[in-house]
Amino acid sequence: MSVSYEYYLVLSGLLMVIGLIGIIIRKNIIALLISTELMLNSVNIAFVAFDIKLQDVAGQVFVFFILTIAAAEAAIGLGLIMAIYRMKRDVDVTKISELKG
Amino acid sequence: MDLNLIAFWSLSTIAVLSALGVVFFRNIIYAVLSLISTLIAISGLFFNLGAELIGALQILIYAVAIVVFYVLVISTVPKYEGEAIDLKYSLLSTPFAFILFMELAYVSVYGLWVSGTGVFGPAMLNQVSNVKAVATMLFTKYLFPFEVASVILLVAMIGAIVLGKKDIVED
Repeated sequence: MSVSYEYYLVLSGLLMVIGLIGIIIRKNIIALLISTELMLNSVNIAFVAFDIKLQDVAGQVFVFFILTIAAAEAAIGLGLIMAIYRMKRDVDVTKISELKG
Repeated sequence: MDLNLIAFWSLSTIAVLSALGVVFFRNIIYAVLSLISTLIAISGLFFNLGAELIGALQILIYAVAIVVFYVLVISTVPKYEGEAIDLKYSLLSTPFAFILFMELAYVSVYGLWVSGTGVFGPAMLNQVSNVKAVATMLFTKYLFPFEVASVILLVAMIGAIVLGKKDIVED
């Protein structure tokens, strides 16, 4: 490996922070889910980079599980968005305030 | 200059720039398109690291299957008219982002002193390929989590069908 694994970890941290900023500042609920996908991908990069360093393959197996969970999360999340859209006719997170005490 | 290094820098530049595009594009279609660009760049990084199976799965599952979900929903929901970015929270996001980055940096530095404890070194991976190593691990040691993952997918499928039914919303 000519590229040392620290560079991959820095890239992973950058993508994670960008995803978090996206979750905080966006107001469209679909954009929130897309930012979550960014954060999941940054975790995948960190798993594979640590795997190469530790000379193991367990992290790649866990990346496989993360892919499965991401697919389930996208299906459920987008189903919820469709239900919310049918109820409220909007996908703005500030308008969804039924549970506000 | 090494080809590996060129691939890393160009792919990571593409990944970071299109991740910024995902967050800051006002139009949600542009955001999804730059998400595809990020995912393909990350898949290239996996190939660059030597994880061929994960790189191929990244393209097959993420960049095709999941993004198709998003495009389907975006085409169903009409154009979003409100403001894309909440200015009130953009200042607030800076300290949280900084704290998260410090946390990740701490974990990464903590892992600096451990290396090469596994058995799948370069010599071993020359004999058995990466695909074979990951698959062997997946179907022996991690067989039970693999089965649980399939049950989770089934539950997600049933949940999506129930949520997508027309008469779930009363008013």
